[in-house]
Amino acid sequence: MKWKRKANRRPPTELRKIIHIDMDAFFASVEQRDNPELRGKPIAVGGSKMRGVVAAASYEARVFGVRSAMPSVTAKRLCPDLIFVKSSFDKYREVSDQIREIFYSYTDLVEPLSLDEAYLDVTETKRGPASATLVAQAIRQEIFEATQLTASAGVSFNKFLAKVASDINKPNGLKVIMPDDAPAFLAALPVEDFHGIGKVTAARMHKMGYRSGADLLTLSEVEMAQRFGKVGRHYYRIVRALDDRPVNPNRNRKSVGAERTYSEDVTALSEMKDKLDWLAEKVFDYLVERDNFGRTVTLKMKSPEFVIHTRSRSFNGEIRKLVDLKEIAHQLLTENIDDVPVVRLLGLSVSNLEREGGEGLQLLLPFEEE
Amino acid sequence: MKFSVSSSDLQKKLQLAGGAIASNPVLPILEDFLFTIEGKTLHIAATDLETSVVTSLEVNADGDGQVAVPARILIDTLKALPQQPITFDINEDNYGISITSAYGKYKLAGEPGGDYPNIPTPSEADEISVTAMSLLEGINKTLFATSTDELRPAMTGVFFQVDFSKLTMVATDAHKLVKYSLSDLNGEITSSFIIPKKALNLLKGALPHSDVTVSISFDKANAFFEYGDTKIACRLIDARYPDYNAVIPVDNPNVLLVNRADFQNSLKRIVIYANKTTNQVILNIADGSLTVSAQDLDFSNEATEQLSCSYDGTPLQIGFNAKFLVEMLGVLEGEEVRLEMSTATRAGILVPTEQDGGEDIMMLVMPVMLSN
Repeated sequence: MKWKRKANRRPPTELRKIIHIDMDAFFASVEQRDNPELRGKPIAVGGSKMRGVVAAASYEARVFGVRSAMPSVTAKRLCPDLIFVKSSFDKYREVSDQIREIFYSYTDLVEPLSLDEAYLDVTETKRGPASATLVAQAIRQEIFEATQLTASAGVSFNKFLAKVASDINKPNGLKVIMPDDAPAFLAALPVEDFHGIGKVTAARMHKMGYRSGADLLTLSEVEMAQRFGKVGRHYYRIVRALDDRPVNPNRNRKSVGAERTYSEDVTALSEMKDKLDWLAEKVFDYLVERDNFGRTVTLKMKSPEFVIHTRSRSFNGEIRKLVDLKEIAHQLLTENIDDVPVVRLLGLSVSNLEREGGEGLQLLLPFEEE
Repeated sequence: MKFSVSSSDLQKKLQLAGGAIASNPVLPILEDFLFTIEGKTLHIAATDLETSVVTSLEVNADGDGQVAVPARILIDTLKALPQQPITFDINEDNYGISITSAYGKYKLAGEPGGDYPNIPTPSEADEISVTAMSLLEGINKTLFATSTDELRPAMTGVFFQVDFSKLTMVATDAHKLVKYSLSDLNGEITSSFIIPKKALNLLKGALPHSDVTVSISFDKANAFFEYGDTKIACRLIDARYPDYNAVIPVDNPNVLLVNRADFQNSLKRIVIYANKTTNQVILNIADGSLTVSAQDLDFSNEATEQLSCSYDGTPLQIGFNAKFLVEMLGVLEGEEVRLEMSTATRAGILVPTEQDGGEDIMMLVMPVMLSN
């Protein structure tokens, strides 16, 4: 149809049934499943080395305050018995595929957010019970039978509420927010638990005296915008349970990238180039695997002082050769080496992918490749 | 070596030659003009080693000689002077340059002219000629469609195809393509080469709107444009131009005829409401009516206009980048244009319904993908 994205926005009178499914401590749980010795113990997936970062932590580790994205050194200090496990993304991807199979058996309206998280629109389903709550229950059950892993689910009538709900009874839980209960639920919800209100904004809100949804409800749309800028309008809507964003099954990944933190700071340009080549190969393999090439290359450099520089360059056509990707990466590096002469991290990503959503994509004249 | 010259005459020439100077040249001396006095003629040269300009003017000179003059400081000086005769006096021992105006004296350090890189000159070159007006027209109609993509160097220039009395100029950035032919060429050869954007931009600013003859000579590495007292030389882009004929769709059963200005003005208004990154507008075309619409979901903006047209084909919905269409329609002339299409994912062909004698222009534009 003419405006597909618009068409998906149903009028508010027609209630949708949305499920948000989130695997519990996904990477860590997969590792515990596959290695009985790790079960019941605090584990962290990710590098244990001096400069590693925790990619995921088991619930046993979270008790100690270990969180994902935390430097491994900090994690180890919080939890001296923490066991570090090397990540194995191929395995996670495999499990993720199994889970998505289950989703797709119920509906095609699946919007994966990451390997372990997705929205499902189950207003109309291909099979199973009519009640969204029962569908969510059945999906959790099937996931457990297929993978021996637990998932939490939130069920409601829009994406925002479903997402918030899935956190309520985590892990291995289910929470339903019915339309009639939504106003009271949101009024009681602490501002920091609103998905989309970050730590910094929540702290600002506290300072201004807004602690819960009920406090936010006292503000008009204009007042919200005055206090919090453009995103204030979004807050105004979500606190009133207004969220007509459709579950978008076409949401594709926007970029493909790889980065590494090095055990020692890298100072030599030639060594940086070697490391970039390695990253370029990684990224390129991934692009080839998906047969999805991109037009923008971004170089990320982090200095020993943790200052992050990113520089990107866009081209009219997709970069389809590894030598080109390496060459562009080298150029970006040499152009910016004066700003960041020493790096602790290098990252390379390709975005503006060919199959990015589709809508609005400028098509190319079909010139023969040389 | 000493000469005097009208400040405004000199300024005009320097402005032209200065176009060749790079903003951040590889050699310091490339920030200079090369001044050569030969009899009563001052030759001015500038180059970035890729593109060079040589021009000349008559001066009151006393003795031959050569010196490299810092360009920026000289141009700034001339800009700040009202028109008047000025005198250059060059010390041939230390290349110090002193300029005398009615107001006073200015001194700057020059460099030996012998250090200035050689400007290429044609050797065993083929030659064609065309009027300045025609060449200017060709440049104006093609240059905008060139690419900035360094990964495909051929597309960063304009492709010149010489076929006896016919010159075809082609430019594309893979999103759009322009093919422009003129047939008042004076030539006895067939050949082709790619001229870089910079040289064409220089010509665009320099060529007179007159029927003065421009001779274009070229060898394997360089092309030379020469008219009056000005020569512009450039290195050719050493790449194979893509086979553009292969991407011109042949079967385009859906033909739209619409008033060019009406269509362009409508697009200019509608694009204000389009998504700012894609500039996507949608054309809904059916018998006798063309609907142009756009929307930007992020801001809840949308706009629709309807235009009368004549349409022969099946009803079609097709998306385009409005900026491309506006640009292309602006380059075309005549009251009415024809847009020939096949499907919503194939290139559309845009042509004026009437062409001037001797000229032939055809444009291609690729659609943007609609989600359906």
